[in-house]
Formats: sequence, C-alpha cells, structure tokens
Amino acid sequence: MATSTSAKKHLATTLLVPELRRKHYAQTVADSKAGKKVAWCSNNIPSEILEAMDITSVYLENYATVCASKRLSSAFCRAGERAGFSQDVCGYARILMGYLLGGDDLPEAPYGGPAKPDILIVNSYSCDSRMGWFTTMARTLDLPLYVLDSPYQPGGGCTDPDNIVYTESQLRGLIAFLEEYTETSFDPTRLRQRLELAAKANDIQVEIYQMRKHVPSPMGAGDAYTAVWPGMYLTGSEECDRFYEQLRAEMRERIENGIGIVPEEKLRLMWSGLPFWYNMSLMNYFEEKGGVVAIENAFFRQLRSLPQQDEDPVRDMALRSTMRRGYAGGIGERIDLTVEVAREYSIDGVILSYNPSCRLFYILQPALKNALDRAGIPTLALECDMADERTYSEGQVKTRLDAFMERLLARRQGDRREIRPS
Amino acid sequence: MGEALVAGIDVGSHNVSAVLLGPSGILGHAVLASAEEGERAARRSLEEACARSGDLPIPEAVVATGCGRSHVSFAARRSSEVLCQARGTHHLFPQARTVLNLGAESNRAVRISADGRATAFATNDKCAAGSGRFLELMARVLEVPLEEMDELALAADSRAEVSSRCTVFAESEVISHIHRGVPKAQILAGIHAAVVDRIVELAGRIEVEPEVAVTGGLARNRALLAELESRLDLPLLVPPEPRIVGALGAAIR
Amino acid sequence: MKSDLHEARERRHQEARAWKKRTGGKVVGLFCCSVPEELIHAAAMLPVRLLGEHEDTTEADVHFPVNVCPYPKACFDQALKGSYDYLDGMVVPNVCDMVRAMFGFWQTSSPLPFLYFLEVPQKISPESTEFFTVELRRFRGALEAFGGEPIGDDAIQEAIRLCNADRELLRKLSALRVTAGVPGSLVQDATLTAMVLPKERHLELMKAALAESQTSPTANGLPLFLSASMLDESDFVRLIEESGGHVVADDMPAGTRYFQADVDEADPDPIRALARRYLEEIACPRKMLPEAHLAHMLLLLEGSGARGVVIHNLRACDCHLYEYPYFKKELEARGMSVLFFRGEETATELEQQRADIEAFIEMIEG
Repeated sequence: MATSTSAKKHLATTLLVPELRRKHYAQTVADSKAGKKVAWCSNNIPSEILEAMDITSVYLENYATVCASKRLSSAFCRAGERAGFSQDVCGYARILMGYLLGGDDLPEAPYGGPAKPDILIVNSYSCDSRMGWFTTMARTLDLPLYVLDSPYQPGGGCTDPDNIVYTESQLRGLIAFLEEYTETSFDPTRLRQRLELAAKANDIQVEIYQMRKHVPSPMGAGDAYTAVWPGMYLTGSEECDRFYEQLRAEMRERIENGIGIVPEEKLRLMWSGLPFWYNMSLMNYFEEKGGVVAIENAFFRQLRSLPQQDEDPVRDMALRSTMRRGYAGGIGERIDLTVEVAREYSIDGVILSYNPSCRLFYILQPALKNALDRAGIPTLALECDMADERTYSEGQVKTRLDAFMERLLARRQGDRREIRPS
Repeated sequence: MGEALVAGIDVGSHNVSAVLLGPSGILGHAVLASAEEGERAARRSLEEACARSGDLPIPEAVVATGCGRSHVSFAARRSSEVLCQARGTHHLFPQARTVLNLGAESNRAVRISADGRATAFATNDKCAAGSGRFLELMARVLEVPLEEMDELALAADSRAEVSSRCTVFAESEVISHIHRGVPKAQILAGIHAAVVDRIVELAGRIEVEPEVAVTGGLARNRALLAELESRLDLPLLVPPEPRIVGALGAAIR
Repeated sequence: MKSDLHEARERRHQEARAWKKRTGGKVVGLFCCSVPEELIHAAAMLPVRLLGEHEDTTEADVHFPVNVCPYPKACFDQALKGSYDYLDGMVVPNVCDMVRAMFGFWQTSSPLPFLYFLEVPQKISPESTEFFTVELRRFRGALEAFGGEPIGDDAIQEAIRLCNADRELLRKLSALRVTAGVPGSLVQDATLTAMVLPKERHLELMKAALAESQTSPTANGLPLFLSASMLDESDFVRLIEESGGHVVADDMPAGTRYFQADVDEADPDPIRALARRYLEEIACPRKMLPEAHLAHMLLLLEGSGARGVVIHNLRACDCHLYEYPYFKKELEARGMSVLFFRGEETATELEQQRADIEAFIEMIEG
C-alpha cells in the first residue's frame, strides 16, 4: 500500500485549496442545519442554477475522491460490493453506495459525511454509470430525483434549434422541479451574475492551461489536479474568480523568473485519464529523475467562453451548451485533442491510466495509445482504478514507471546526440 | 433409502471421493487422486470405499456429483455439487445454515435451510484466484511443499501484501517479495489472506448465515481456516474428512 | 434440433447480400431496439441489427480494452473482419457508452457512405418525446438524402403495418411458450431473424414456424424467466433447455422487448407514433427508471408460470448492473430464486454456466 497520498504542491495558490474545500463542505452541512435545501448532484449539473435558487449543492464524484484520498476506498468499496454492486461499476458509485448501505463497522466518513440531501439531480449524458448510481440512491433515500437530459452531439457543438429547444426544456424542467420540491424561487438576475463569473473563471483557466506549454513547466499535474477544484465546485462565485486570478498571477511570475517544478527539467510527461486519487504523490514521483507531469487531459479546457447569446440566462445557457460541447464528445475528437496537446506541450511520454470502472475514459485508452504510437510518442499503460485502492500495487507501478522514465531519458539522450554537430 | 446400501461419488478435478452409506450411517469412504480418466477413477474410488467398509458389495444405487459426474456411466442418477454439498453438510452438521465448499478448482457458497435443502448458492469457477490451484501454484513459486504451507503461514508474525484480484498479478507480487528477501512465512500469510478475500467475497453474494461449515480440500488448511474464521468473525464447522461431503450428499440423494 | 429460423440467423450475411443483388437496395446496419427500423424499411432499404460471433475478437482487441461490453465489441470485430462489408450505412443510437463509442470507431476504422447518430433521449418525458419526434423527422431527411428518394408518410404507414404484423406473429409464438411448450430458443431465433431479414421473408418463416408448432414436440423443462442485457445468439437459451429448463418468458432486447409493443397505426402522424413507441414503450434500462422497469418485468413474469429467474448481464454493462441488486431483492422477496450470470460472450463460457444452471433447476425442483 502507498505510504503517502497527497501530491506535494509547488505553487502557493494551490495550497489554499484544501482549506477552501474543507470550508465548502462545512458550509454545506451548516446550510443544511440552517434549513437550506441540499441537492446531491452529479458533475455537469449547473450549480449556477442551484445557487440562483439558494439551494446548496454537493457533488458526489468529488466527495468520492475525497474518500479515496483519505484512504477509505477499500472499506467503502467493499461495503458497496457487499450490497450487490459489481466490481465492474464505477469506483465512485461503490464508495457512495458503501457509505449509504454499509453497516456500523464502516470508518468515519470525511467531514462527518456529506450534508444530508433533500433532492437528487443527475445528468443523463456523459456516462451510464451515474444514472444507475443516482436512481439507486434516490430509491434508497426515498428522495425525488431530476434527470437532466441533453442531446449527445458526438460531432461537438452545433446550432441546431431543436437541440437548443430540448436542452432549454431540460433546464427549465430542472428549475420547475427545484421550485416544486424546495419551495424556493428562481432569480434570473442571480443566475446571470453567476454565469458571468463562471465565464470569466473559465477564460482564466484556459489561459492558465496555455501557460503550461512553457518550458520549464510552471505548474505540473501535482498542483493542477488540486487547482481544478474551485473551477468545478465553486463555479460562479467571486471566490472562484479570485482564486484563478491569483493562480494566473503566480504562474506569470514563475514564467518570468523561469521557475519550474524541478531544478533541471529532463522529462515532460502527460497523464491521460483519471489519476489515482488515493495516491496523488505519484505525480511527484518523477521529480527525483527530473521529470514533470506537465499536463493532464482529464479536465482540460481549451475553449474560451462564448459571448452571451441571449438576454434570458436560461436560454443563454441552452444556446451555449449546444454550441459548445464541454464534456465527453466524440471518440475521434477526444483522441485528436490528446495527441495535439501532447505535441503542443512538448511531451516526451504519455501515461495511459486505464481505470476499468470508469468506462468513459477506459474505452478510449487503447485507441489513444494507437494514435500516440502513430505520432511517435511513447506510452505506458497503468491499469488501476481511480478510486478503489485495492487495485493498486505500489511496487509494480513504480517499477514500471522507473523503466518508462529510463526509456524516455535514453531516447532524449539519443536525440541530443543527433543534434550535436560532429 | 430404506435398508439398501447407497453410494455417492464426487468426481472432482483433483480427487475422486466415494462414500458408502447404509441405514446406520457412513460405512466406508475413500479419496483418491484422479490421475486417470473419470469413469475408471470413479470405479476405483468406489471399490476402495467398499473395501474399507469391511468388504461390502458395490451397490446398484450410485449417485454421481462433481465436475466429472457425466463420465460416470454406471451412476443411476447425477446431482449437482451445490445440492450435494448442502445435503452432505446437513447430515454432518444439522445446525449449519451455510457451507463454503473450497475445492481445487472451484468454490461454492450454499445456504442451507433447516431441513437441509439448498436455498441459494454462488459459485466461482471462472477465476483461479481463491482456489486450491492458486495455492498449488504459489507453493511451487515459493518452493514449499504444499502440505507445509499452512503451518508456515500460521507461524508468521506479520503478513506481506498479496493481491487478491488476479493470479497473474499475485504471482508477480510474490516473486518481487522473494527477491526483496521477505520471509516465506510472511508471504504465505499474505497469500492465505488473499485466498480468504476471494472466499469472503463469494460468501457475501449469498449472505452468510450462521452456523457456517467449510468443506473441500482446502478445509484441511489450518492457516486458511484461521484467517477465514477471523474474517467472518464466526466459528467454523469442519468435518474430519472434508473431501467426502459432496459424495456423502450424493449418496443421501 | 436447429430450426429454419436458427439457420436463417446463421446465414444472415448471405441473405442480406442476396437481397442487395435482387433489389439493388441499400443495407443499413443498426444497434439496439431504440432505432425505428420502420423508417429504414420505408426508404426501401434493409435494416439489419448487428450481431456478433462467439469467437476471439482479435481485430477489435486492438482498439478496445478488456473490461467493456462484449456485444458491440464483437460486432465491431465482425466489421473489421469483413463480415459486414455489404453494409451501405449504419445507424448508431444514443443508448450507452459503448454503443456511443461505436460511432467514433466506425467513423475512423470502417467508414461508410452513411453513418447516422440517432439522438435518442436518455429519459422518458413529454419533452423527450417531442425532441425524439423532431429527431426522427431529421433522420427521415437524412435517409431521403442518402437514398435519393423522398419517404412519404404512406410508405412509413405501410412499413409500420408490416412491422406490426411481424410483431403480432412473434407475440403469438412467444405466448405458445407458456401454453404449448414451444421452446424459448425458437422464439429467440425468431426474434433475431426478425431483426436481420427482409420483412416479407421473415413473415413467411414465422407463419411456417407457427404452423409447425402445432405438431412439434413440446419443451417440458422447469419454467424459467430470462432477463438479459443482450444475447445475440440463442445458444444460452438452448443451454438452459439442455439443462432441464424451459424459458417461458423474457425481458431482453433480442426477445420480448423487440416485439411486445406495436406502433399506433391510428396516429395520423406516423413519425410521432414511432417516437412514442420507441421511446416510451421499450423497457430499456438506460431510459426507463428501475422501478418502472421492474414493474414491467413483474407483469411479464405474472401468468408465465416461471418458477425462477435467470439474469444474464454482459460484463461492464452499467445500465443493467446497477439494477441487479434491486431486482434480486425484489424478486426474492416475491419468492423467486434468482440465478445471476456476468456474461463474457467467450466460446468456453457456456460450459461453465451449465453446472450453475443445472444446480439452480435442481434446487428449485427440490
């Protein structure tokens, strides 16, 4: 088993996140006690709408990663499996189902457990697993569930009016559901404010991703997987915007002063797929050999926010989400993007994280390997679950990473020898 | 079955066992390694059981079970291992409500009603991890005689981590433990823990109800039994000859 | 004893090629019960549901990792091996992660003149039906562009009538499982062939099968209900029959889910009628919530006389795997024993499953 789990942070701004997160979860519990309504949400449920209705959101995938990072996944996954959920299904789901259905012998959940929900909201696209997971939770807890649907659009964004109409109907359906089950009312002005803030935060993050092309890398995956957190879970807030402004300023400073992650950057790696949340220190493992995980593809943002498309903020959301597919997307598109990023970020080698229980990323990995092979970029496949630490074998993983780095370093040496004049 | 003698034969992948049953109980039994083809091994095992009964004749009423049961042409009936394990266990331990049958190649967990019928079951025969074959493989890798494995494992004061997910994975982990000089006892303790992990998982599929009996070849492995008892937090009922329970259950049929 | 229907499934590629040669028409492959085949028939094209083979997926393995649903992988494997080189087009519905991925893989590895992603909603609601109606109009437009011919409402109504007629015969045969001991494997072969043969040809085969069923030997095994995520061959059902069981009712895509509901012929808007039937009336767990799906299954179970339930879910099928603990609990609470298989569709799998099925049947019989 791994002895340490957190990644060492190189940036000061990133060090703020654990406290932000702890405060956020504490706030959700306090909100619940104060009588505010709490919604358990899957990723991609727009918190901007919930915030505009004074409803507190708890994102369960994130809570699962917190459980994993606190080394609780074995106990919770086992409990989830005892309750009948196959090892094939999402590690996050097994953790939460274990928490909900497991007995008294379970260890204490982080932050005392997520705030008790009043309603559940799930988006039906992006993956199959969350539907099964959320419908099970709704039944177990006997709570109302709203399914937010959307056209899939494998080809990416489009302006098809019928797609927009459907997406809008789903968002309005969500608002109607929230009004019915929480007796709160929807404030379009607040939504507009949050959307604007979220758009700004997105744009700053896009800039930050671009800045990571710089050699030496000003921020590696060790910081980045933590730095994404506010953008995913505090989106639409002033706090979130301030965080990314600060992060961008720090990045600029590091670039100006040539401050990298390691004294001498010998290798630039990319992490494809989800990280192993129970052992993020792996992101630092390469540093001893002068390696940096310069970029990761899991939460990558490269598109600036679209300008406002409509006065009405709900219609605006529908328009923008139809015109621009932020998540998933077609297989071909996702593969091309990853190869392009590997080239643009001067990547020497890609680590392909095969998480068998996360079908969304897992399906893609061999095809991605093939594409990277064709592009002449070396890869290493690691097959471990992103949340269930029982699938991880420290010795094996490190042995393979060592060999991969040796290979890449030798390759780099070879290149340099060719360039040197005779 | 009345006054007549009945025989049960369990044609497993490693052993063929036979039980001769009369109105007063088990009259003779035998367990032979099934090195030859099923039909002959079955016959030999039955002959041996009869010989040990004080040379009673081979009965007409023969019921066969085990993975090779279809090869026993002289059997009057055939019955599934699940049901035979339930009946055989109930005969030996009427208070048992769950039996964990741990064989060379496959495991099964069966719930037993108060009147000795199987009411639910789960099997694992696709994957080697958790079976006797896994332990045999590990014995070879560690160069430890199979019969000494459990004693060594019990002597360990701590345990090396061995994956329970996959035999191939586990094997390479064991080899790296060996290279790093980890004492064999600790590795063996880890191996036994991994096997028990899989057994507990299997048992979880039918919801274990006490009392719990353990049968099959692996039930002679004291380290495994100790670990299993600790994991389930339940005392285990183990017959003196755990490899004949299937044949016994067949005979009761 | 294998029936004509079974043979027809085995010869489906030759049949499709022969149809092409005979009519000069186009063949359009598809996944899943959610695609309204009526529209393809109305376009004078032949819809064929893709089916795999139980052999090593050597070609597809280059593209896919191990822990994915074997069914679409096996279909893709067949495409890469050339078995489906007579396809002129493909329709990939928005139905699950693996099938959605097929769209991208087909695009890059097996390009076709027509490759359409059908935006099937992932939820059942009035707005979703509205959207699906619009999407089916778009689909019709795409088929018209592909075929170079307009597809009138009349043609669609005719196709609906033909498909309804076929479904009617399938329902008749299906009911005979309970009342007349018609084997479950025959009904499944009948359904599989319905998904791949020209309708007129299938109707003939159905009439013959129904006539023959009057005099055929009856199945007399223990009545069982089969719930499956996807079985593209009848050999699993046949295994149950060989082990002493008789599948009298089912809830599976290549089974009752395909033929249970008809399209409303009285609706003046055939596209809307199709949208309603294909979204609202198919018990697909990707759209239908588990409570509704269970209720649906219990209705099928009732009156079938089944004494136990066999659930066969392909590995990595999230949609079905999440339902399983709930279904198991509810079925057992109603006195039904449940036998679960996590299927891998390998060639050796069936033999391993035999022992469990035999034990299950013996256990229920007592």
